[in-house]
Amino acid sequence: MKELCLRALNIAKEKGVSFADIRIVKHHTQIVTTEDERVSGIQDSESMGFGVRVLLNGCWGFAASKNLFRKEIEAVTLKAVEIARASSLAKMGSGVVFAPEEPHEAIFRTPVLKDPFKVPIEEKVNLLLGVNKEMLRVRGVKKAHSFMWFKSEERHLANTDGSFIESNTCTSTAECIATAVDEHTAKTRYFEAIPVNAGYEHIEGTPLLKEAQRVGEEAVAHLTAKECPQGKKDLILHPSHLALTIHESIGHALELDRVLGMEESLAGSSFATIDKLGKLKYGSPIVNIVCDNTDPTRLASKGYDDDGVPGQRWYIIKNGILVDYQTGREVCHTIGTEQSRGSCRADSWQSIPIIRQSNIGLEPGEEPLTLEELIADTKDGIYIEGMGSFSIDQKRLNFQFGGDCFWEIKNGKKTCMLKDVTYQAITTDFWGSCDAICDKRFWQPYGVLNCGKGDPMQIAQMTHGSSPVRFRNINVGGAKL
Amino acid sequence: MRESEARSIIEKVLKLSGAEDTSAVITGSYKASTRFADNAITQNITTNNYSLKVSCAYGQKVGHATTNELIDGALQGVVKRAQDIARVVPPDPEHMPLLTSDEAEKYHQLEPYFEDTKKFSPSDKARIISAQAEKCQEKNIRLSGAFSNGSSFTSFGNSKGLMGCYKSTSFEMHVTCLTPTSSGWAEQIGEDISKAGFSSVVERAFNIAVKSENPHDFEPRKCTIIMHPAAVAELFTFLFWEGFDAKATDEERTFLRGKFGTKIGGENITIRSDPVDLRCPTISFQQDGLVAPTLKWIDNGVVQNLCYSRFWAKKKGKKPTGFPTNIIVDGGDTSVEEMIKTTDLGVLVTRFWYIRFVDPMVPSVTGMTRDGTFLIEDGKVTKAMKNMRFNENIVDVLNRVEVLSVPERTGEYIPVLAPTLKVRDFNFTSATDF
Repeated sequence: MKELCLRALNIAKEKGVSFADIRIVKHHTQIVTTEDERVSGIQDSESMGFGVRVLLNGCWGFAASKNLFRKEIEAVTLKAVEIARASSLAKMGSGVVFAPEEPHEAIFRTPVLKDPFKVPIEEKVNLLLGVNKEMLRVRGVKKAHSFMWFKSEERHLANTDGSFIESNTCTSTAECIATAVDEHTAKTRYFEAIPVNAGYEHIEGTPLLKEAQRVGEEAVAHLTAKECPQGKKDLILHPSHLALTIHESIGHALELDRVLGMEESLAGSSFATIDKLGKLKYGSPIVNIVCDNTDPTRLASKGYDDDGVPGQRWYIIKNGILVDYQTGREVCHTIGTEQSRGSCRADSWQSIPIIRQSNIGLEPGEEPLTLEELIADTKDGIYIEGMGSFSIDQKRLNFQFGGDCFWEIKNGKKTCMLKDVTYQAITTDFWGSCDAICDKRFWQPYGVLNCGKGDPMQIAQMTHGSSPVRFRNINVGGAKL
Repeated sequence: MRESEARSIIEKVLKLSGAEDTSAVITGSYKASTRFADNAITQNITTNNYSLKVSCAYGQKVGHATTNELIDGALQGVVKRAQDIARVVPPDPEHMPLLTSDEAEKYHQLEPYFEDTKKFSPSDKARIISAQAEKCQEKNIRLSGAFSNGSSFTSFGNSKGLMGCYKSTSFEMHVTCLTPTSSGWAEQIGEDISKAGFSSVVERAFNIAVKSENPHDFEPRKCTIIMHPAAVAELFTFLFWEGFDAKATDEERTFLRGKFGTKIGGENITIRSDPVDLRCPTISFQQDGLVAPTLKWIDNGVVQNLCYSRFWAKKKGKKPTGFPTNIIVDGGDTSVEEMIKTTDLGVLVTRFWYIRFVDPMVPSVTGMTRDGTFLIEDGKVTKAMKNMRFNENIVDVLNRVEVLSVPERTGEYIPVLAPTLKVRDFNFTSATDF
């Protein structure tokens, strides 16, 4: 593998590039899906190929192929050089400024105790069908779906810095969804083995069977739940819900490429422009947001990013103030930093690395505080679990989010289930209203599997974590027609 | 890949398989995409990939495996993986016998393949982008977007002798022009690059950006909306995200439960699929070899057809339809200018952004306006407005469409042909700061 990589890099260097890299990537994905008592699909997919990226005269060229042999590597490298020359026809100023990076030789592996691809299909099917059976046992549940999803990635990354990085990552998750139906409508509820970088031991360690009945019961209760009120309410958000709120209103807003306008035509830009760095009051003083690509169990961790930069841990919001961004080597100089934060990833061998969200988390509260105590301290609020409807404008300001399950809080007690809850806010007002965060005992990571960005669209995975959090005086029920 | 090569690979797969039933699909694509921002190219890529999916069945037991290695040794591997899965899974009561070669007689022979589209080089695109970027730079406009071209290929075969092949080319250009206070957007999608007009796409985006400078606040409320085709496509595509699935509907899990054959929209609403419509051509067959549907889903407001898989059609005594490969919203003959002229108070919308279901059973959705939102007063566009959030019931919208224009090609997730619509009482619920 190293010889093939060096061949590409040598050709690129002969052509005068200032930087080149080659990634040889193999993906193996297995998805097992079930519906009620049947296995509705088992898909086992493999894809392998390589991509060569070159920076010539300050302009990018990239070409990729599935045919991993010497002559094709030579041809694809020359193609990438040819494309870079074409790019120079529309070049900005002196072109791309690519931050230097030390050469790294490293091997990174997800800690896996039980390879999910070696676990017999029958075992997976039996578990999922058992979970469906438990959900269907609940009176009122008319449909049960469940699935398992496993993905492994073998990556060899070499670049003209002299780096040669090998990584093997493995992601495992499972989920069950109950649908209850009555004469008026249908409602759902889900439970998941949170997507993490781990092996099948993660599935075995998640009480899918045990939770199935509760999931079914909550789907049924959802049918007759009280309508979402309209007006201002305090919100208590569980980590399973807040993960996507962090993702949409902080994670995307602080990707430096979109801040600079490089994503304008598709995913949009950001209100959090670089002139606000160090000044913008993003949230209340207890809001501390940390990126962490050093924990190997988190979905965005692969040792080194696809720019060849090591995984790091850093604050992007400290005591409520915007203090940094997620960066790559191409853009980090725009905020006066010499080293990238290592946030560039590509979703396959045929994609070019772009800035993707890191594993982003809200730090837990410093004072001891349980969810029960937080609810007891709330007079008029709503407690939300799970991910639901999510929509946000292209500068990441005006959002409207839903969830999977909701409960009314009155005078310090969860009183009844609610349905169709949505809340709407402006990002900085929302985070500015954060007044209580449960302590570290209740901090939980949640995974996002399908984050779309780029053109052509790339799908990436990352983890977001928090403890339960309270937000004061938020508009709810605006979606009611 | 030539059709003969694909056929040869599929025949090898069918021969290698010892399963009772085997089918294979090869999909391939060549894509060249040039992306630009701030008047310079920021990303320029080409990629070439093929993928082979093999499905093996023993009775009702089915397994699927996919690879992108198409050499002989790899073919054995992918067949074995599919067989190994099929041997150990429980029987799937919904698995259907393979379709026979008769099905191929229904496939259309249209092949929207233009060699010049595929051959259009990164240098060709760079020159065009550079010329427009320079013009924008001179006028202090920031040009962003993407210009892509390529070809795709699907070949299908099964052990009952059914074979099908479809190849096409495509190009897509979408452009955002930015001023310090506004943005404008435009697109062109097609198969034949000789019909591409990058400069006119830029000009449209440019004009919208300039007209939408210094946007004003507007108190969100229910009011008339005139939405351009991209906005219509984005909104109406949500009708088909499981909404028309016959099985889910019969199981009372979609908004169409109990509504088959009933009138859900105005008489001016007809939504259909037609793979041979030259304005929006698509593949002639689906993944299981079933012919792609040519059907009216909604005819003059009435739900005329649902999407029946082969299993559910058999169970319900219906004809299988499969799922739409394109969506055509029939139009009218009212010009956008006429729509504006007849509007006392309304909002003109270039496109929507980030629409998501609030409750798919309603079906209610929320989303934002984007890249050019204007106020219409007394029959004239009077000012640019800040973007707004809406919350709407899409079926209700189908009942409030007053007039329609001639449809245009658009569609982000699926090819769509859609008109500009004038809709009354559109429910804007909040605003953003730009």
